[in-house]
Amino acid sequence: MDIVKDILAILIFPAGLAVMAGGLAYEWIDRKLVAQLQNRIGPRWFQPAADIVKLLAKEEVLPEGVDSRLFYGLPVVALAGVLTAALYVPLFGLAPAHSFSGDLIVAIYLLSMLTLCSGLAGANTNDRFSLIGATRTLTQLFSYEAPFLLTLLGPAIVAGSWQISEINAYAGGHWLLFTQPVGFVVALIGLMGKLELPPFDAPEAETEIVAGAMTEYSGRGWALFRLGKNVELIIGLTLIAAFYLGGLSDPLGFLLKTLALLLAVAGLQALFARLRIDQTVGLWWRAGALLVLAQLLATIVLKGMTA
Amino acid sequence: MRLGAMFGDMFRSLFKRPVTELYPFRKEPAPSRLRGALTYNPAKCTGCQLCVKDCPSNAIELITIDKANKRFVMRYYMDRCTFCAQCVQNCRFGCLGMSNEQWEMAALNKEAFTVHYGREEDLQKLLSTNPHE
Amino acid sequence: MENETREKFIIPIGPQHPALKEPGHFEFSVDGETVTGATVRLGYVHRGIEKAAEERNWVQDLYLLERICGICSHAHALAYSLGVEKLAGVTAPPRAQAIRQLVAELERVHSHLLWLGVSAHEAGFDTLFMFSWRDRETIMDVLEGLTGNRVNYSVNVLGGVKADIDDARADAIRRGIDFLEERTQHYLKIATSDETFLRRTRGVGYTSREQAEELGLVGPTARAANVARDVRVDVPYAAYTDFPVQMTLDTRGDLEARFVVRIRELFESYRVVRQILDRLPAGELTARMPRRIKEGETVSRIEAPRGELFYFIKSNGSDKPERIKVRTPSICNFAVVTGTAKGHQLADMPMILAGMDPCFSCNDR
Repeated sequence: MDIVKDILAILIFPAGLAVMAGGLAYEWIDRKLVAQLQNRIGPRWFQPAADIVKLLAKEEVLPEGVDSRLFYGLPVVALAGVLTAALYVPLFGLAPAHSFSGDLIVAIYLLSMLTLCSGLAGANTNDRFSLIGATRTLTQLFSYEAPFLLTLLGPAIVAGSWQISEINAYAGGHWLLFTQPVGFVVALIGLMGKLELPPFDAPEAETEIVAGAMTEYSGRGWALFRLGKNVELIIGLTLIAAFYLGGLSDPLGFLLKTLALLLAVAGLQALFARLRIDQTVGLWWRAGALLVLAQLLATIVLKGMTA
Repeated sequence: MRLGAMFGDMFRSLFKRPVTELYPFRKEPAPSRLRGALTYNPAKCTGCQLCVKDCPSNAIELITIDKANKRFVMRYYMDRCTFCAQCVQNCRFGCLGMSNEQWEMAALNKEAFTVHYGREEDLQKLLSTNPHE
Repeated sequence: MENETREKFIIPIGPQHPALKEPGHFEFSVDGETVTGATVRLGYVHRGIEKAAEERNWVQDLYLLERICGICSHAHALAYSLGVEKLAGVTAPPRAQAIRQLVAELERVHSHLLWLGVSAHEAGFDTLFMFSWRDRETIMDVLEGLTGNRVNYSVNVLGGVKADIDDARADAIRRGIDFLEERTQHYLKIATSDETFLRRTRGVGYTSREQAEELGLVGPTARAANVARDVRVDVPYAAYTDFPVQMTLDTRGDLEARFVVRIRELFESYRVVRQILDRLPAGELTARMPRRIKEGETVSRIEAPRGELFYFIKSNGSDKPERIKVRTPSICNFAVVTGTAKGHQLADMPMILAGMDPCFSCNDR
């Protein structure tokens, strides 16, 4: 029976279809919020889903000079990676489907799979825009990854555990937003960097390099990458809400907290002009990484003193 | 130098209705001077052909039915028209005008774009002599 | 990839590219993210308008030439009408000239606001893009109410104008201008103070005054590099002698200066529009024009929103022109892209390109 339950958890709920649908819904809310902030109407509620359905139905063009196994395989791996990560986070405020000591590290690396895959996909296609996009994607990966990881380590250290569910439980009693404000801000901005949302969308800046690493992707591959992004959005929001906003224990709290975060993300998206890739790297290493590191050190020292 | 100079605009628009016009669900009235489809009043036309001569896109044909009695039919090719209103400017007798009501002129067939203006009986006469038009 | 292309990695922008809504082709050779060279190729929207103009009569040409460009349609029609009137020895009545100038300035407002949005979009600042285009609707509505169309105003006829302005219309224009003036103040503040935006504009695409002179830049792009060049001031046409404008200059020569110059020109346009509305000369709207234009040739220059627009018109005494040659401001300004690209980041290229406000459909005709 356990196996049936596991398969259900992977395919339907809470990972699998449910989180994909949730991701699409969150993409719509994000786009709608940005539109509202810009005094526009924005897309209708089914638009992201309609896009995915349309893309799935379309022909997938295999460009010349690519390794076809990689070309078809990478989107699948990317989506599989983020869906697996969904098993370890308290999605919809429920207990994670799977949990073991150290699953935080696994989840973080599974989340990075998407970026790695899209970077590889760009490098695989023999296209100028893709190659530049891939370089930028990977450059950006190396710049935000360390600070983002550090921001998730902060709560882990105070909770004294590497298990997401335990940190979540610990955070339930402590709003780490107030004790580690720098970590919270950097985590939120790091998530935007991870998702390549404006102003960190240099890797796919349409006015420079069309769609970046994804330029040659069409049809199914592009749909899977987009789904992966949407799932990553909801997982990222869940993680930050669980760690910094007093933990997630019920669906209502999940909705409220993640939507509040989404509003902040939408606001930040609309507020700034796009950063050049050199500015992004500079920002992360000069400001982001150092600030988080300082806070992390302070956390460790304080914890050592109280213990 | 400050971060987020547009915050005020964004914050205010959070509580405002979007300005996007919901065309075609809600239609705003067009301004009075809008240059829409050409209109023709056959009563005053003398058949001077000035409108035809200066039309930049040959959108007007003036067909003489009976020259002595000043009976003319105007064939107006709406798809060629650039709505510049030079014909209206040229007409000394004020029989031409541009509608500000008829400006949604999309159609699925080309025939819809050829319009005849004139007196009822003249139109009948013209169309009966040239049945395929 | 062959060795050749490996040595020189070229990023093409256009003729189909999200950065350019019009077809032009730019090739940037890059080393990593740094641009090492730039070339431009034009002519993708050549429509043979100059040749077509020889087949039509003088009046028909007015509307043909007006459609060279959608953004500065009035500028083309105005340059042409002024040239033809000069050839025929006819002067349009003062009221017509004042209305021509009024529409020209309103068009400048619409063009500069459009440009502001496009440039902001190139910088990935979509919020500024959306807001500036939202406010641009005001001026589009004003122009539509005044002339009857949002884009090809067709307000000129040879020898005068079609559209008159009464008190109600003047009030509508004033209301629009008042609203826009307030918003423009706001945009000036954003363009000169928003940190992320300034990082993309300050010091980018710098041209010194000497360089600008050497490249032969025109319009706001030149004025941003402190080159005092404005046909409205140098050789006033239409009613610019009665309602003079001040030249807007900036000494910095970078992208930020181009933003500041264009936005500050808007204030000058608002001021002149108000002045014209207050002191609109009374009288006729049109003067009589002959159908055949005397033999001869002439040059007509006006200041389009993008810079100096130049018309050469030659008549052989018939009802059709013998030759019409148009030189648009964009062709003079493309040198700013090829001349300053080297050493910049690839990400700056669309910004530099948009900073000169290119108009490919004008340029290719």
